[in-house]
Order: sequence, then structure tokens, then C-alpha cells
Amino acid sequence: MKDNKLRQKRLVYYADDLQKIDKLMEEFLKLSNAKCIFLIDKEGHMISNRGLVQQINAETLSALVAGSFAATKEMARLLGESEFSVMFHQGSRDHIHIAIIGDRAISATIFDEKTTVGMINLYSKELSVKLEKIFDIAIRRVHQEQAVEADYSESVKDKLNDLFKE
Amino acid sequence: MQINYARKEISCKVVFYGPGMSGKTTNLEVIHQKVPDENKGEMTSIATEGDRTLFFDFLPLDLGKVRGMTTKFQLYTVPGQIYYASTRKLVLQGADGVIFVADSNPSKVDENNESLKDLSDNLEEYGINIREIPLVIQWNKRDLPNALPVAELEAKVNTVGANTTEAVAATGEGVMATLKLCASLVLDRLNAKDGDPQASPVVKSGSKLGAAAAAPKEEEAAAAPKAEVYVAKVGADSISRTFFLQYCQMQYRLAAKEAEVEDFKKFSKDEYKKFLESLINYSLLLQDAKKRSVKPPMDKINAQIDAFKKKFGSPAELNEYLNRRKLSLDALKNEATKNEIINIMISEVLPDIKDRMKITEKEVSDFYNANKAKFNNKPFDDLKGDLVALIKGAKKRSALEEFYGKLRGQAEIKIFEDKL
Repeated sequence: MKDNKLRQKRLVYYADDLQKIDKLMEEFLKLSNAKCIFLIDKEGHMISNRGLVQQINAETLSALVAGSFAATKEMARLLGESEFSVMFHQGSRDHIHIAIIGDRAISATIFDEKTTVGMINLYSKELSVKLEKIFDIAIRRVHQEQAVEADYSESVKDKLNDLFKE
Repeated sequence: MQINYARKEISCKVVFYGPGMSGKTTNLEVIHQKVPDENKGEMTSIATEGDRTLFFDFLPLDLGKVRGMTTKFQLYTVPGQIYYASTRKLVLQGADGVIFVADSNPSKVDENNESLKDLSDNLEEYGINIREIPLVIQWNKRDLPNALPVAELEAKVNTVGANTTEAVAATGEGVMATLKLCASLVLDRLNAKDGDPQASPVVKSGSKLGAAAAAPKEEEAAAAPKAEVYVAKVGADSISRTFFLQYCQMQYRLAAKEAEVEDFKKFSKDEYKKFLESLINYSLLLQDAKKRSVKPPMDKINAQIDAFKKKFGSPAELNEYLNRRKLSLDALKNEATKNEIINIMISEVLPDIKDRMKITEKEVSDFYNANKAKFNNKPFDDLKGDLVALIKGAKKRSALEEFYGKLRGQAEIKIFEDKL
């Protein structure tokens, strides 16, 4: 099964799937009245986001959400749980609600006093079920098109030479 | 790794691993300093008050658009202290490449090894073999007055045949070269077909199939370029120049007469080409063996090595012999592994090989009659044993050539002659 694991390591998201995902996230924002939502994979790469995200450093947020989710999972393990599916951090103005979606993704919703954690929880559960279905289909799909242009790697290496100078 | 067609983005994760205080965070700080502002994000550290990494440090790099895809590298470090084992494992999840920052201090050899073992175990838990993931070992703190020689570190720590670089992270020396090398290895992976489990980063120091890597001689290590140069590409594998040079020296030492062995033999371009051809053959063989899930019979190989050791009265005599020949047991083991793999593979690819290797009386006598003059008319019966061996050798060689021919027909091979 080792080969499968290696294969799973590469996460490919196609435009069609993401269009559907983005639409669902927009609906979620309307219903829940949250400020914005980030969809992040468990490895810490951001998949997509919707809402008022301009002020937020998406990359670092993604890495930290994935990290703290992973740490929470270890806490769960110590209690004999397989994982905690929801995390909530309360701030003075903004709050963040983190929920797992299926096997490999996490949603992070940022909201303020315009709504309540209960509302976010309710709609994020619905969202989670819908997104999970899309991921399920996407993962089982055999990737037929070539992942990237053939000379992509070589081009990046040239760029590395420019940027990563001693 | 995430390939996101909707955002037109490729995002890779590189993790700095290694024992406590070996310089992982320093590496990241140097990178943060040296990369232009528009290509880097904020560096985030989750550290204790004493500035020791608690969970991880994080630095996102953005290479901008390449061939229409925004290319990102996300760099993480793990806490080195032993008791942070569980957080290390978490950070390692989904890593596309690992830079192992090793301490050159002689007193840190055990810690380096312990940490490397920890890395191997943690990767194993994610179902990844340490030899399969793009891995660069950085010999850090080369400026220590008592730093161990690289050759010694290679022998004592680099038991996984990883690519290595030298660095003094505190002054920034060698840091970018290490990152560049690891990034290239990750990118090489990317070019392999999507989800291709055969994809492997490089042909490493002859150790892919279980035998430990032969330690390069010091002068070779010193001559090794810091950033990896490749001499050939065989299918998904690239052959690095460092590895190629080591291979040439080893092949030469294995074949050379005892009295003639030189420390570092220089070869002509044609000789190098010949070596490269044989190394390409071997790489193809390994790739094919992997495809067919052929594994080297380690029991048999170990038995061969044990039998060889027994030829000597004492370990000291054995060592003396190996020193004279400038060989190591690992080198012999690699060679034995190669021969066993060849034997198994020949019978897989050319199933009729047994019949073809059979020699009839007539063949031997015909051969004798045709070459009688060359044998100074020695009687047939005296020569028979040698003749059989001779004919067998020739048959095996032609079968091998046919076999390699078949493999080469299916593979894409590129040779970078100017790099030889």
C-alpha cells in the first residue's frame, strides 16, 4: 500500500471541482454571516478561500491551522478519541472556527459579532458534508491529464538559480 | 505537494530536520534574509522563551509564475529536542523534501544518528521510505576547529546514501545551495508522471537496494561540487556527478590489481564514457527490478560477505587487505548486490537463459580446434575446464548485452557529455 500513500501525497485540485467548492463556500458565507472562510489541506497548503480575506496572511494562517489541527488530533488520541472535529478560538473582536472535512481538508471560518458560534457550527456541518462528497469523487478520479508542462521543473530550477543566491 | 489548477499554483513542502541546536532555525533565518522581499512571506516561529523551537518555524517562499503556474515552497523546521517527538511527526506530514541539518561536532555523531533514525521511523509511519523521499543532508558547522572530516561524517552518519552539502549556517555559507539542491530533487519528482510510484529522485550512492553507501574518499568529497550537477538522466532518475565519480573509482578499485591501486585514479574522457554506459545499464536494471518487485536476496549476499571475511585470519588482516585495495566491505556488498540482481533479472527478462548457457561437448571441442594454435597445442583435456569457463563467460556477456539492449530500447536516456 506504500505506493498508494505516495500517490495520495500529491494533491491535485482541478478547476471544475474548485468552482463547485467556491460556490458552496459563498453560500455558506451568506447563510452564516461569517466574514470569510479558508479551505486548507491537512498538510498546510491553502486550497481556496472566499469572503473578506484581504487583511489576512493566508499562507501563514493555513500552516498554523493545519499545525494546530494536527496538535489537537494528538490531544484527542491521548483521550482515546480519533480526532476532535471542531475547534473554536475566541478573540475580543474576531473569532475562528475550525472544522475538519473528510480525510484531508480543514475549513477555517473567521467571524465577528454579526453572527454566533452556533450558527457557524450549524452551517459548517452542512458545508462539510457537501464538500466531503466533492473531495471523495475528486480523489477517486484517475488523473489523466499531465500534471504540469514537461519542462516546468527545469524552468523552476532556472528561477531557483536566480533567487537563491549565496 | 498541492497542484491547484484553479489557482494555478504549485505548492511544495520542505522540512528542516535534525538534532537539537544543529542549526535548523538558523538555516531558515538565513534564507529569510537572503531571499528578495517580493519572494518571501513572513517568518513565523512557535518558540519557547529561550528561543528554542517549540512546534515549528514556518517560512513561505513564492517563486512567482513559472510556465503559468505560481510556484511556492513552504519551509518548516521541526524542534530538535528528543522529547518533542510527536510534534516532529506532525510537521513532517506531507513533506515533499527533507533537509537534514547535521552537526559536524565529533561529539554529536550519536545525536545525528539518533535524529536520522527518528526521521526514518516517522517517515515510515506515513508509509514513506527514507531512501525514497528527496533528502539532502547538510553537514553544518564546518567552521568548528574540531569538525569531523566530511568523509568520516559520510561513513558514520550518511547510512542512507543521501545527497550531501557543506555549510556554516551561522555565516550563511552553503545554506542557499542546500535549499536549491533539495528543491531541485523535489522538482525532479514532479516531472515523473502523476502519481507514478516508480518516480525516484536520483540514483543515490549505490545504496538503493539495501547495502550501505560506500564512503567517498576525502579528496573526492572535497572535489564534489556544492550544488549537484548531473551527468545523465535515465528515465525518471538523474545520475549526479558526485555519485558517478564515486562509482568510477569503485569500479576501478574492484578490478585493479592489488599493487596498482591508486588513491584517486584519473580517467580519459572515453574511459569515463564507458563507465557512464555501465552505470546507465545498472540504473536501468534497478528501475526494471523495482518494476518487477525484484528484491536482492540479502541473506545470500550477507552469506557471501561472511564467506569472504572468513578467508582472513583476523579482522585486522581483513582491514589491511581492504586498505591495500582501498575498498570497503560496503563497496563489496554493493557489488555483490549488483551481481545478484543481474542474475535474477536475466532469468526474468530472458527466460531461456538456462538453456542458452548450456555448453555441449561439441562446442568445447570445436572451440579448441579453431584456436588450437593459440593454445600452443596443449592437449584438449588439460584445457577443458578453462575453455568451458571461457565460453560460459562469453555467453553470459552476450546475454547481458542483449538484456541491456532490451532495457535501453524502452527507456529515455539523456547524457550530458559536457558535465563528464
